[in-house]
Amino acid sequence: MSTQLPPGLQLEKVDERIMTLNVGPQHPGSGHMRIIVQIDGDYIVACDPDPGYVHRGEEKMAEYRNYITNIPHLERPVIHDSCNILYPYVLGAEELLGIEVPERAKYVRVIAAELNRCVYTLYWLAIYGIFLGHSTMFMWPTGDRELFIDLLEKLTGARVTHAYFIPGGVRNDMPANFEDVCLRQVGYFEKRIAEYADVFYDNPILISRTADTGILSRNDAIRLGTTGSVLRASGVDYDVRKKEPYDVYDSMDFETNILKAGDAYARSKVPWLDMMESCRIIRDALSKMPKSGSVRTKLKPNPKGGDTSVYKRVESGRGALGCHIVSRKKPEPYRVKLSVGSFRNLIAMPYLLKGEKLGNMPSVYWSLNYWPVEADR
Amino acid sequence: MGTATGIIKALNSGVKHLARKRFTLRYPEQKLKFVGDGYRYDPVTGVGVAGLKGRHMLFHDHCTGCQLCSIACEGVAEAIAMVKVPESHKHNKKSIMPQIDYGKCVFCGLCVDACPFYALYMSNDYELSSFTKEGLIYTPAQLQVKPHVSQDAEIQITDRGATHG
Repeated sequence: MSTQLPPGLQLEKVDERIMTLNVGPQHPGSGHMRIIVQIDGDYIVACDPDPGYVHRGEEKMAEYRNYITNIPHLERPVIHDSCNILYPYVLGAEELLGIEVPERAKYVRVIAAELNRCVYTLYWLAIYGIFLGHSTMFMWPTGDRELFIDLLEKLTGARVTHAYFIPGGVRNDMPANFEDVCLRQVGYFEKRIAEYADVFYDNPILISRTADTGILSRNDAIRLGTTGSVLRASGVDYDVRKKEPYDVYDSMDFETNILKAGDAYARSKVPWLDMMESCRIIRDALSKMPKSGSVRTKLKPNPKGGDTSVYKRVESGRGALGCHIVSRKKPEPYRVKLSVGSFRNLIAMPYLLKGEKLGNMPSVYWSLNYWPVEADR
Repeated sequence: MGTATGIIKALNSGVKHLARKRFTLRYPEQKLKFVGDGYRYDPVTGVGVAGLKGRHMLFHDHCTGCQLCSIACEGVAEAIAMVKVPESHKHNKKSIMPQIDYGKCVFCGLCVDACPFYALYMSNDYELSSFTKEGLIYTPAQLQVKPHVSQDAEIQITDRGATHG
């Protein structure tokens, strides 16, 4: 065997104790990404998440489309949460184009966004069940998700990619008996979600898999810039809906759920508690909304923005989601930058996994409320 | 709570569900009922009418061949092409109408919002699978056929859980 390697190639130095393991990208327990872990026996010494396998160039694509035709493709990063990912873009575009939104449209938007948050969270919870090997935890949320998908399908006309929000309001008004159907199904879900506690959250097997693993302290959570449920599970009271209310969230009656533990169990519980608050917001919005009125301000064809930029932030299922739009007096935006919660939460992963057992990796990884496609954009 | 109590509680919660009805929709036999006849748009008020965004419906007696739907689709999916139609209409001088490629369409409905003549709607038909790529391209003649849909299953909520009718 020749010891001379061709130029450009080099052999990796292999440690006697430490083994490098690639988890993903073609692995059911990694999502669309690779996690490079270095293990010493069963313990993780170092971890390097490697996202970018599903990069679609959404931000670049947005520079070649006008403010309206940007809508269908910008919701693709998170098709389960498509209303929430469009929300900051639509709020920003409204400010740039100088459009007033009708009052009723604001309430419809809040309802659609909260229904979508439930759809996303239930899907996320179902995948968490798969990661932990709990098949009931997969099937129950997937089944109950159908209640919200059905409501959104009645409201927006599509089961997942709704393309419902538009600068100036929403695409169409609620169908005739939507309020009754919505209250009935949300009421049923509220009873159903209480049953989750018996099967999942009070289940000693689930607690032993998730409790005291991957503890993120309050200071670390702030220092690493995590957001959303990860931040709230570490005891930080931060929710964009409360701190910087947009649309009509300031008049909604809901609370921010905070847990102090900061472990994977707390991170898995906060979205579940948030879903109950979402149901409260939906009820509140349905009772407070104006019973009639327009839901969409008519736009001029090919609207142009000024020579300014705008930054808007909303609370998505994964945390704060910001959108920075720069306009240069053209029908197309000059630059659209999405600042997503998934990517911020991923930063905490190498710190959390250091010293954990390899078997705890799935429970810590998915508790970060991370959606690979959204992080890559 | 002790480990044994917790496990028994979890099992008990699962056993209760044995008596419940199944929530699953038996799809080819049962089909979900949708509101209305599909998504439409009123260009006068500028607001849509709620409905499923499925296959399009083209009304030949309204279409003027103005290409606005095709222009709206340019930045989205480029699924709409304007093609010649054999019949001649007084309101459609060029005799061109949209032909939609469902291999590209994303069902966003922005073409419906663009139509100022009430010529393009969306219908409740969502079963568009085909064995060939050519089979996904719907000509203006195919688009004017009203789809035959029998959709009646709805989510029903009873004391014994939710079912699909």
